[in-house]
Amino acid sequence: MNAKIRRTSVSVVRNTLLTLYALFALFPIFWMVLITFKSDSEMYTTTFLFHPTLHNYKEVLLRTDYFQAFLDNIIVSSGAVLVSVLVGVPAAYALARYKFKGKEDLAFTILSFKFAPEILVILPLFMVYQALGIYDTYFGLIWVYQLITMPLLIWVVRGYFEDINVEIEQAAQLDGYPWHSVFLKILLPLIKPGLVAAGLLAFIFAWNSFTFPLLLSGFRIETVTVASLKYIASDTVHYGQMAVAATVAALPEVILALLIQKHLVRGLSFGAVKG
Amino acid sequence: MQAGLINSDTNFSKKPFLVKARPYLIMTPALLITIGILYPFFTAIFYSLTNYSFRATTFRFVGLKNWTQMFMEPEFWHAILVTGKYALATTGSEMLLGLGIALLLSKESKFTRLLRVLLIFPLMIAPVIATIIWQLMTNNSVGILEKFLNLFGVYNFPWASSAKTALLTATLIDVWVYAPFVILLILAGLQSLPKSPFEAAKIDGGSAWFTFRTLTLPMLKPFMYIALIFRLMASLQEFAIIFALTKGGPGNTLMNLSITGYTTGFAYLKFGESLPYVLTLWLIIYLISRKLVAKWLLVQKTAGGN
Amino acid sequence: MACIELTHISKQFRKYFALDDVSFQVNDKEFFVLFGPTGAGKTTVLKTIAGIESPDEGNVKIDNEIVNLIEPAYRNVSMVFENYALYPHFSVYDNIASPMRSPLHKTDEETIHKEVHRTAAMLKIEHLLDRLPSQISNGQKQRVAIGRCLVRKPNVFLMDEPLAHLDAKLRHFMRAELKEMQANFDTTTIYVTHDYLEALSLGNRIAVINRGQIEQIGTANEVYYTPVNQFTARLFGEPEINIFGIELIECENGPKIKMLNNEHFFDLEPDVVKVLSEQNVHDLNLGIRGTCISYSFAKEEDNFFDGTVYSLEPIGNKSILIVDIDGERIRIIAPNDLHAELDSPIFLKFDLKKALFFDRTSEEFIIRHNQAHYIGGLI
Repeated sequence: MNAKIRRTSVSVVRNTLLTLYALFALFPIFWMVLITFKSDSEMYTTTFLFHPTLHNYKEVLLRTDYFQAFLDNIIVSSGAVLVSVLVGVPAAYALARYKFKGKEDLAFTILSFKFAPEILVILPLFMVYQALGIYDTYFGLIWVYQLITMPLLIWVVRGYFEDINVEIEQAAQLDGYPWHSVFLKILLPLIKPGLVAAGLLAFIFAWNSFTFPLLLSGFRIETVTVASLKYIASDTVHYGQMAVAATVAALPEVILALLIQKHLVRGLSFGAVKG
Repeated sequence: MQAGLINSDTNFSKKPFLVKARPYLIMTPALLITIGILYPFFTAIFYSLTNYSFRATTFRFVGLKNWTQMFMEPEFWHAILVTGKYALATTGSEMLLGLGIALLLSKESKFTRLLRVLLIFPLMIAPVIATIIWQLMTNNSVGILEKFLNLFGVYNFPWASSAKTALLTATLIDVWVYAPFVILLILAGLQSLPKSPFEAAKIDGGSAWFTFRTLTLPMLKPFMYIALIFRLMASLQEFAIIFALTKGGPGNTLMNLSITGYTTGFAYLKFGESLPYVLTLWLIIYLISRKLVAKWLLVQKTAGGN
Repeated sequence: MACIELTHISKQFRKYFALDDVSFQVNDKEFFVLFGPTGAGKTTVLKTIAGIESPDEGNVKIDNEIVNLIEPAYRNVSMVFENYALYPHFSVYDNIASPMRSPLHKTDEETIHKEVHRTAAMLKIEHLLDRLPSQISNGQKQRVAIGRCLVRKPNVFLMDEPLAHLDAKLRHFMRAELKEMQANFDTTTIYVTHDYLEALSLGNRIAVINRGQIEQIGTANEVYYTPVNQFTARLFGEPEINIFGIELIECENGPKIKMLNNEHFFDLEPDVVKVLSEQNVHDLNLGIRGTCISYSFAKEEDNFFDGTVYSLEPIGNKSILIVDIDGERIRIIAPNDLHAELDSPIFLKFDLKKALFFDRTSEEFIIRHNQAHYIGGLI
C-alpha cells in the first residue's frame, strides 16, 4: 500500500509540475491568438469573454503591406532553402563518402558559420552589399541566409548519408548504375524524409531571422519579423492588430514544426544527436 | 553482346583525374558560398583598423586606434559584463529547467507524449515575435499578466522599463523560447540510454537519487554538452530579443556586445569603431566553443564506453 | 565468361596491409574458392576485382585486359555482399530486377518478369517477391542477394560468404544448388568462405589467404593432403590436425624418428627419407589427422603410445576423443558409441604413412608419403 501511495503522489506531483510548464509554454500563444479577435474597445475591459471580431485581421492584412511582408518572407526563406538544398546535398554527399584533403576543416568551417555572431557578419556585409548593389534585394538576402540554412542542411544531410550502408551504393554500381544514377535513384529516395525535415527546419530558421533583414534590407523588402516590430514602435494602442501581426508571423512555422517532429532533434542538433 | 569492357586504348589518361577531382567539383558551389561569407569576416578586420564612418566620404587607416580606444571605454567593459550576465542567466536557467522538465517528460504516458509535441511551439516562434507576445502580455494596460498580478495586489510591474527588472524580463523571454531546445535534446538522450545498467542498479538496490547521480547524469553528459554549447554560443551574441525589447535600454542595462556594436555602427555611424566590439565578441565565442567542443568530444567517448 | 588475373595486388588501410602482394589467376568458367579466417582480406580481394576498392599497387585483369581504371559499373561483374546490401526501399522483386533495369543493362519488363520469377523460384523465395527487405529474415535476405547476383549474365560472379547466415540444412541444400547453377551458367565464379567444408566441396581450386597474403592455391586434395604450411593444415579438417615436435635420429640403416613419450624408433617411408636427407632438416614437426590415428585400450605393440583420456565429445555420427600423451593433446575420431572413462588409460597408434612433416622453425610443409598421388586433378 505504501509503495502504491508513493507512486501515485509522485505521479501527481509530476503531472502538476508538467502542467505548470505546459501553461507557461503554451498559454502565451493561446492568449495571443485569442486577442486577435478582440476589438480595441473591449481590450481594456474584458479578459476571456468578449465579442469576437475579424476587424483586426482585416486592418492588418488588407489595409497595410503586412501581407506583402509575409510574402517576402516566404520568397526569401524558400529561396534560401532551395539554394542550400541544391548546393548542400551534393556537398553533404561529398563529405559523407569521399576522403579528401581538408575535408574536416572545410566541414567545420561550414559549421562555424552557425556560431558566428550575426552582427559581425552584417556590419561589413552592409558595405559590401551597398557596393555590389544587392542591398535590399531578394538575391542579397538569399545569399546571406545561407549562413543560417547551409550549415544546417549540410551537416544534417551528411548524417543521413552516413547512415546508409555504403555497400548499397556499391551494389548499385555493380548492377550497372553510373554514379549519378546511384545518387538519384538509390540515395535520394532513402534520405528523402530526412532531407525534407532538414529543409523545413532550415525554412523555419530562415523565416525567424531578424538581424539580416533588419540591416541588409528594409525598404523594398521587409520580412514579417522586421515588419512586426513596426507595430510596437509605432506606439499605437491597436493591441489586437499587434497580436494579428505576431500570429500571422508565427503560424506557418508552428504548422511546419508539426510535420517534422520525427527528425526534429536531429536537425536541431545539426546531426550531433540522432534523436 | 560485348561484355561491357572498355578497350584500354580508350582515352584513360583523363579518367583518374576526373575521378579524383570529383569530390572537389561537387563541393565547389558550397565552397563558393563559403568564400563569399568568409570575405566579410576579413573585411571586418580590415575596416576595424580604419576610421570609416558613414558620415565621412573618405576614410583612412588608423591602425589599432579603434581597438585601444575600445579597451579604455567603460562601455566596452560594461558590454562584456552584460554579455556575460545575460548568457549565464539564460543558459543557466535553460539548462536547469530543461533537465528538470526532460526528466519529468521521460515517463511514458498519454500526457507526456502529447506535451512532447506541444512544447516545440515556443521554440519555433521567432524570438522577435516572442518578444512581442510577451510585451503584449506584460502590457500595463491590457496584458493578461498584468491582470493576473493585479489579483495579488501588484500593479504596474515595470518589466522591461526598469533597469532592475529588464534583465529578468529578457531572460524570461529567452527561456520561454529556448528551454524546449534543451528539453528535446536531453529527452532524446534519456530515451537513448541503455536499459541494462539501470536494471542492474535496481537489483543492487540503489536509491533513485543515487542512480541519477552516478548513472543517468554521466550518460547524459554528451547531450547536455551539446545543449550547453548551442545555447551558450547563441546567448552570448543575442541581438533580436534585446533589440525588440528595449534596443539595449533602459539606459544601457542590456547593452551587450552585439547591441553595442550595432549601435556604434548604425546609430552613431562610427563604423570603424564598431567592428572591434563585434570582433571581440567573435573571439570570445570562438575560444569558448573550441574548449567546449573539445570537452564534448572527450565526454562522448567516456559516456559511450560504459 | 572471363578469366580473372590479379598480379601483385597490395592495399593498405592506414598502417596495416589488407592485401600484401596478392597474385592469382582464375580460369574461365572455373569455380574458384577464396578461403581463410575472418579478416584475412577475402572481401577486399572481391571488392578489388569488382572495382569497388582500388589497389595501391598491382593490376587486375579481366579477360587479359587491365581494368584498374574501369569503374565498377562497366566491369560487368556481379556480386553477393556478405551483408546483403539490399535496397531498403525496393521490394524483393525490384531488388532482384534492379540489375536488369539499370542504364547499362536495360532489359524489357517481360523478360525481367520471367527471369526474376525463375531466379526466385530456384531460391525458394517466390512467395516473398512483394515484401520489403525489412520484412524478411536474414536467411531470406541472403537469398534475395544471391538472386540479384545470379539474375544477370556477367563476366564473373563474386560471392562473399553467401551462405553464412543460413541454417545448416538450408546451407547444405544451397551448396548443391549453387554448384549446379554455376555449372549450368558456365560462368566464372569466385566464392569467399571461412567454412572449410564449403571450400572443399565447392571449389575447383581453393586459394588460402591469411592476413592479406596467399598461403596456397590448389585443388581440394592438394590443400587438404599437402598443405603448404602448418597454418593451412590447421584450417582444414575436424578435428584440427595434431602437430607436435619430433626427434630425428640417425641410425645405421637410415634416419628414424622418436616422438612424444614413446622410446620406440619409428621407421620412415623411403620417399620421405629421401626428401628429408636432401633438405637436411633437423628440427621437425609431425602433423597427423585424427582420422589417421587408431586407439586401443590395451598396449598391443611397442609402437603404441601411452595416454589418458582427456575428453570425449560425441558429435552426431562420430565422436572426438582427446587423449593426453605426456602433456600433448591428441585429437582423434572415434565411433559415437564409444565409452571411455575420463583419465582412464588408452593407447594410440599413428599411421605414419599418412603423416605430414613440417619444418619446426619455418612451419613449412616438407613432405608426406606418396605426395604425388594428391597433387593435381580435381575432386
